[in-house]
Amino acid sequence: MRSTYICFMPFICRTVEYWITGEKMNEQVHLRFRTEVRHFSLVAILNFIFAAIVMAMSVAYIVDAVFGIISPGSPLLPRAFSGAVALACFGLAISWIISTIQVFEGVEEISGELEESDDPVSEDRITCLMVKMLAHYRNNQATIRRMILVSTLGGYCFFALGILTSLEAFVITSDGISFTLDSLLVIPAMILTIGIALVSLLSSHTFSQFAATWDRRIEEIDAAECTLKKNLGLDES
Amino acid sequence: MSGRRTVYEIYWEILVYCKSPRSFTAIINRCDLNSKTGQEYLGFLSGRGYLSAVTEEGKTRYVSTPAAGEYIALFSTLYHKLFDSGPGFRL
Repeated sequence: MRSTYICFMPFICRTVEYWITGEKMNEQVHLRFRTEVRHFSLVAILNFIFAAIVMAMSVAYIVDAVFGIISPGSPLLPRAFSGAVALACFGLAISWIISTIQVFEGVEEISGELEESDDPVSEDRITCLMVKMLAHYRNNQATIRRMILVSTLGGYCFFALGILTSLEAFVITSDGISFTLDSLLVIPAMILTIGIALVSLLSSHTFSQFAATWDRRIEEIDAAECTLKKNLGLDES
Repeated sequence: MSGRRTVYEIYWEILVYCKSPRSFTAIINRCDLNSKTGQEYLGFLSGRGYLSAVTEEGKTRYVSTPAAGEYIALFSTLYHKLFDSGPGFRL
């Protein structure tokens, strides 16, 4: 009787250990995945808000540039140039909003499903949501890259706009270029535009990091396919 | 589930869904497949012994075999490993 008990002990221990650690690992993976999806969703919302602000401010800058061109005595060249930059910013902002909505919709759906899942979530359910997230990433890989590019460009364009709109005089002569900045306009405009420029650059940086992580995961999946292939008996080598 | 998935992800999805017997229509609807590709996937999995067709009340239903459990477990382990490390920054 005693020997039977000893014989079964390691098996029971291993089973209990597997059950406990397996459960814990499942919970950890679930927690990490949920946090990551939430963060991704949050960054997308912030991105959307700032894209909307950029769009609104671009319109304001376009109107300002048009009035600047019409009013007599105002430097024509910088106003026309700032109008063109504002128009480019407006286009970038629209593209930025469309890309963000596209990415956000899928992530929000997955986030909602994660929240609705029973606690503790089953292994199959988490894996299913991971596959869904990876499929969503594969679908939007190009859009995310465009979003990173657009928010970086938007950031630089806005920085340029801040300087251009604060120009009071701009003269090009054979000796060189001279310009005067209106200090009353410079300070508030610069604070606002630098703020927006920094947020868009930060947003593009955050998305780059997310994209790098997901790209790495896609590569790891490609590598893991060999193992799955073998398991399915497809690998003849 | 829709979107760009690998064949292995589709196999996994079919096998998990078929843990309880499912009809062909239910499988292709759930896994977002057309009937031609659905037939191919089911044919492959049945051929490898991961799925078996059972007839209930004159209707054919597919159910995962015990052999599918190994593939499902391996797939889950590999995918869960992907989340061992995050994006490397804190928000």
